[in-house]
Amino acid sequence: MTDSFALPTRFGPQQLGGCYAPETLMQPLLDLEAAFCAAWADPAFLIELKAELRHFVGRPTPLTPAPRLAAKVGLKALFLKREDLTHTGAHKINNALAQALLARRMGKTEIIAETGAGQHGVATAAACARLGLTCTVYMGVTDMARQAPNVARMRLFGTKVEPVAAGQGTLKEAVNEALRAWAGRCDRAHYILGSALGPHPFPTMVRTFQTVIGEEARAQVLEQSGGLPEIVLACAGGGSNGLGLLLPFLDDDLRRIAVEAGGHGKALGEHAARLDGGRMGVLHGCKTLLLQDEHGHTAETASISAGLDYPALGPELAALALDGRVEVRRASDDEALEGARLLCETEGILPALESSHALAALPALAREGAATVLLGLSGRGDKDLSTYQSRLGI
Amino acid sequence: MNPLLPFLMAGDPSLEALPQLLADAKALGLEAVELGLPHSDPIADGPVLQAAAHRAIARGATPVRVLEALAGITDSPDLILFTYLNPLLQIGASRLKDLLAPTPVKALLVVDLPFGEEAVFEAELRAAGYPMVPLLAPTTTLERARQILSERPDAGASAPFAQRFAYIVARLGVTGVGSGTDLAPVWERVLDLQALTARPLAVGFGLADAASLAVVRSMGATPVVGSALVQALANGRGLVEVLSRGLG
Repeated sequence: MTDSFALPTRFGPQQLGGCYAPETLMQPLLDLEAAFCAAWADPAFLIELKAELRHFVGRPTPLTPAPRLAAKVGLKALFLKREDLTHTGAHKINNALAQALLARRMGKTEIIAETGAGQHGVATAAACARLGLTCTVYMGVTDMARQAPNVARMRLFGTKVEPVAAGQGTLKEAVNEALRAWAGRCDRAHYILGSALGPHPFPTMVRTFQTVIGEEARAQVLEQSGGLPEIVLACAGGGSNGLGLLLPFLDDDLRRIAVEAGGHGKALGEHAARLDGGRMGVLHGCKTLLLQDEHGHTAETASISAGLDYPALGPELAALALDGRVEVRRASDDEALEGARLLCETEGILPALESSHALAALPALAREGAATVLLGLSGRGDKDLSTYQSRLGI
Repeated sequence: MNPLLPFLMAGDPSLEALPQLLADAKALGLEAVELGLPHSDPIADGPVLQAAAHRAIARGATPVRVLEALAGITDSPDLILFTYLNPLLQIGASRLKDLLAPTPVKALLVVDLPFGEEAVFEAELRAAGYPMVPLLAPTTTLERARQILSERPDAGASAPFAQRFAYIVARLGVTGVGSGTDLAPVWERVLDLQALTARPLAVGFGLADAASLAVVRSMGATPVVGSALVQALANGRGLVEVLSRGLG
């Protein structure tokens, strides 16, 4: 058995990340890291993963030029990386499928997962159905109500959806309950964490499985336009989509921007903007920028988007932001809705509310003089139809 | 051998009731008590202690107020502050030491702080007389147990139980009232550890009835009773009544 981590567990000069886990989970986390490193070095695993990503997930996803939206907001060129076109409709499947393959390789028979918007839950449910693994997804009751179609999809895939009624009934509480469940079943279950969050090795593992987004996008934009854009832009909840798109552009001379949920106000509890509003703290196994009160209790958050409604920014993304290598902005609920409306009207694409936060940043970036942008369209908006209907009055 | 290590949640039923509870515990001859510092996201706790923590927070039992309420109390067993890391990190080691100085707290049990993750913070508190209690789970290999016990060393035979003991987690999962927790593997674990260390051992998670407490004692270890006690107190029963009769 492994008794120490092989990979770096910390990010940046602030040493974010780490492994702040209860002792019961330490050996499972050590074993998981060892299994991940072995799999990532095993050509057989990589071949299997690549085949599944191609034939099941539908990779590579297209890079779609969006000339009408570009003209509308005042950009010269805009490219959309279409994670909304993956099977199950969001980037989450890249990580869920890879971790499910890893779990099977480790001899685990059960999967535990948390979900906010339900996209990670649906992706995990689909991967488990495909690989014949038993799956339980923990989901806050508030999120179950606002993302009802995804609850139904998970159940169709044979997954048990466990409602979590504690607190605000959103992603944070779902993670609490998933961690508790894993501590009880870690001898036979693997926990598929959905974002670049949690104790080591999850942040590193999840972003490694998600960088396929940026790797494809970088090659595609070079091929289609002959060069790199001025800006690469993604929304950021925990940071799996943000890191997945932005990391492969880290050494390029361009602006990398992540957009957080600005919610409906600037006060604590009215948003999920961790860079401005957060302080260094520990939640769910990692040290990072955290929305918290003066007592070190996790603050409430608010966002129209369930997938961005989380009090902590993933540690690696937070470290990159503090280091100035990724700019972090915020978009309000209303701005996100407007971003979604614009994309629908100009390009005929319905974005997820999460992705709409990235779209919301476009007009301001154009006003600041940006000409070319590559935007990560993390997911499709079918799950958000009822919110769009009621908030956009259609 | 210390026959019982009870757990109380600070602020539940109330912070005002805490001095009397501690005095009662002392009168019962208890050497040490684990005192829970309520946290918003107690990821290692089951429903009973989650609910107790949220009740306590709702009644204003913030970390600093709890520590201030403990200041000056002497009629109390030694306290082991059972908590999660973030509230302590936000207070900071230096202020935390000042807050702890006038209290009966003798050690810290930080559920989500494995050794080495906050080495400077931990060393500063240990030097001030607040060592971290080593936790050993069913998943902890004997090799790792050896490492944990050396990273969080014995304070020495003259130190009180609170500063010496290692906490053995009896089962996978979270805190809570057990239903038939299988104690056979725990027995084996206790024997292994007794061969490894002269430190006192406590066993907790899932013990509720007098019989399982007796089994733990017969291993030469101290049973921890948490959720069952917290639930009984929340139901209006008295500490003396519960500990002297209800839990044997």
